[in-house]
Amino acid sequence: MLRSKRLLCLTLALVLIGLLGVGSAQAARLAREDTLYIAGHQWGPPTSFNPLGTGSVAWPINSKLYIYETLYAFNLATGNLEPILAEKNEWVENDMVFRVTLFPDTKWQDGEPLTAEDVRYTLEIGQRYPVSYAPWWNYVNEVKVIDARTIDVVLNPERPHRTMVLQDLGNIRILPKHIWKPIEDAGENIQNIANLEPVGSGPYKLLNYNPQQITLERDDNYWGLKYFGTPAPKYIAHPIFKSNDAGNLALERGQIDYSQNFVPEIWKMWEDKGVPVGTWYKDEPYYLPASTPSIYLNIHRPGLDNILVRRAIAYSIDYAKIAETAMSRYSIPARSSLLIPYGVPEQRYFNEDDVREYGWEYDPAKAVEILEKDLGAKKGADGIYVLPDGTRLGPWTAQCPYGWTDWMTSLEVVAASARAVGIDIRTEYPDAPVWTDSRNVGDFDIIMNTPAGGQGPALPWTRFREVLDDRGVPELGKPAYRNFNRYSNPRVPELLDKAAFTSDEAELAEIYQELDRIYMQDIPIIVLEYRPWEFYEFNETYWTGFPTEENPTAPPQHNLAGVKILYVIEPKK
Amino acid sequence: MLKSKFTRYVFQKLGWYLLAFLIAVSLNFILPRLIPGNPVNVMINQLAVGGVQSDALARIYENYMREFGLDQPMHIQFISYFRNLFRGDLGTSFMLYPGKVSDLIKEALPWTIALQIPTILVGWILGNILGAVCAYKGGRFDAVVFTSALAVSNVPYYCLAIILLYGLAVHNPIFPVGGGYSFGNFPDLSFSFFLDALHHYTLPFLSMIVVAIGGQAIGMREMALYELTTDYVHYSKAMGLRDKKVVGYVFRNAMLPQITGLAISFGTMMGGALVTESVFSYPGIGSLLFTAIRQTDYPLIQGCTLIITIAVLLANFLVDIAYGFIDPRIRAAQLGER
Repeated sequence: MLRSKRLLCLTLALVLIGLLGVGSAQAARLAREDTLYIAGHQWGPPTSFNPLGTGSVAWPINSKLYIYETLYAFNLATGNLEPILAEKNEWVENDMVFRVTLFPDTKWQDGEPLTAEDVRYTLEIGQRYPVSYAPWWNYVNEVKVIDARTIDVVLNPERPHRTMVLQDLGNIRILPKHIWKPIEDAGENIQNIANLEPVGSGPYKLLNYNPQQITLERDDNYWGLKYFGTPAPKYIAHPIFKSNDAGNLALERGQIDYSQNFVPEIWKMWEDKGVPVGTWYKDEPYYLPASTPSIYLNIHRPGLDNILVRRAIAYSIDYAKIAETAMSRYSIPARSSLLIPYGVPEQRYFNEDDVREYGWEYDPAKAVEILEKDLGAKKGADGIYVLPDGTRLGPWTAQCPYGWTDWMTSLEVVAASARAVGIDIRTEYPDAPVWTDSRNVGDFDIIMNTPAGGQGPALPWTRFREVLDDRGVPELGKPAYRNFNRYSNPRVPELLDKAAFTSDEAELAEIYQELDRIYMQDIPIIVLEYRPWEFYEFNETYWTGFPTEENPTAPPQHNLAGVKILYVIEPKK
Repeated sequence: MLKSKFTRYVFQKLGWYLLAFLIAVSLNFILPRLIPGNPVNVMINQLAVGGVQSDALARIYENYMREFGLDQPMHIQFISYFRNLFRGDLGTSFMLYPGKVSDLIKEALPWTIALQIPTILVGWILGNILGAVCAYKGGRFDAVVFTSALAVSNVPYYCLAIILLYGLAVHNPIFPVGGGYSFGNFPDLSFSFFLDALHHYTLPFLSMIVVAIGGQAIGMREMALYELTTDYVHYSKAMGLRDKKVVGYVFRNAMLPQITGLAISFGTMMGGALVTESVFSYPGIGSLLFTAIRQTDYPLIQGCTLIITIAVLLANFLVDIAYGFIDPRIRAAQLGER
């Protein structure tokens, strides 16, 4: 019996060794030089390819323009609207009508022509269903079809918010009426269908999907070939990784060409390991910023209701440390402004003088000065200040969802900084649904959140609105979706409305700077860091020509105008 | 008379198992709902991060509460859950809307089963053989192998997974870093795909089997050692029975608890080896269930735990019945002869 056991073990060992050799010599179905591998957009099994869905819509349907297309696409680096389906667009009739003209021979992947009627049908879905672009109709009265190629968007004369119209319109994927209308007529809710065989107008079709990857194949009948050229990859594949680390490892190994993952200390890949990985900027901060993760202070709770206390907290935070540790150097140290001061179009409104005069920066000595001189607070035996009326500065909890490690690190710095000057802030990491509930109803001391997630023509207006405007925000205790600490200032609504309805650059600059000064004086939130909209990194082992700041042939995006990248890269010779 | 007593025994067991099933299913319903936080909020968050305006979010929130039936009182949700369950409808996932829970589980299950069954079986066979040999041989062989098995079985299998990944995939790129098969491939029944899948399977397999062998070896060794000291062994040896025959009886007796262990392993394997799947990006049930719990996706949690419940109960039930055939002592007890 022993001999047969030895034989068994030997066989098993041989099989394992055999796998080593044999396994490494298999032929992949997709040729490597024809395929672009992308990562960072999909983590679970794909179940829906419906652009109208508001649940977990699979890559690339969610905001990528490979299968479905928009009329034009926002370019994050330049602020321009790149033409996609629309060859030209312009404001006419005293800037009250936005006229869009389609390219001459736009068509669907099934051969049917794409006309203005499809555009109107898609836009009017927002009137009938609670899709993400339904609020667009607050600013628009009517969409008129002028001819087969031209559409007029008629603004609501009471609220002609042009940049908002442009931003939302730029996110609407145009759908084929001849496919979607019959579904509606059959009584189905078009938001709830899975749309597993999407028919779009874009350069790629869905080839295959399963829980491990999603694959696209180039459509060689794409209408845009004669206008934009031919996109280089014949196939685009998105492997579905279960964790960031697995995706980053694949990027390093050259198995992924173009990724959207958070890669800690990415510069080590090319500096220390010599791998041809790159980002938009060659040096810090490596990525373009897009949003401002901040802490919201509950201005209705004792202690935090005092502007000077909030100011002291703002002075105490070590912003450079947050940029270095939490954001892995992918952000510059945060400035005391709701405007992002670099990289993106809204930087043109940033006023350095105002920020120096009214704002704050990391200065613990100044924080202590505010506490002791301006507030007259006394330090207790436990090292925490107490206001003259007896209010102890703490214990206050600062919350963010458990598992969001960059936010967790940021809050640790905030808490440590505050403690160093004598304010008692402690961190707490509830699960995401709990954090959402607390945030929405206003049940928090300090909570971390990003106001105005994306980017577009309507920035910075949307950020000012989400932070400072209390119109339409339910009272504390009822769920709200912005202005979570219910900040109120009578000057803000009129400034926001003025900014919404003007296109005059000088006037806009004045208004935004006044709003920013209001922010700096009242400090309802404190900006902690700048975060990219999407992380943009690439590996040039198999595909070269990815745009960078030095070679800006396309913007550093995956979504919207990022589709242009496919036309500038080429396989490595 | 023999048959009816046995069948009565079977039906009695069946009754208890059915009761256990009903209680488990009710718990599967109630427990996820006790987790604080609203699942719809998770979806709203994702939309907000993507840039959807707050006005749209409020309407989307109400829409989903209605769609998922979360605005109904708890007992109504419970009743509709049970009704759907007996119709075979496991519902629609929240976080992967509109994916059906049964489809998601159907896609993930083969990967978990393929990952775990060979590991469990091979680990069981090799481990038991090793344990038996140790007990039989004794001496230095036993000391060395037993100590190593003790050490190895206590290594957390996920630690081993990461070590193997680093050593055999990152530092020395012999094996792939993850996935069930190469990224450019499509699953089909060809030989080259099978080899590709095997190549990707090696590291996850190794990370779990080493620990499994260690654990089984220790268990089997203890049982075998115990059997070797029993009266009937001493008597048989004294009677001059050949060693081989005695060893055969010893193993047969020592095997019983190991069979129970094997059956239970098959039952619990449906839960998936979560960390192994995470480290190697294997699209199995473990990571599906974990993400569902983090996002409080009630239907998906209920679906996965239902599968686990059925598997465990079925495995235990079959073991109970099988014991009647394997062990004459139990059969005799069941039939009232003892």
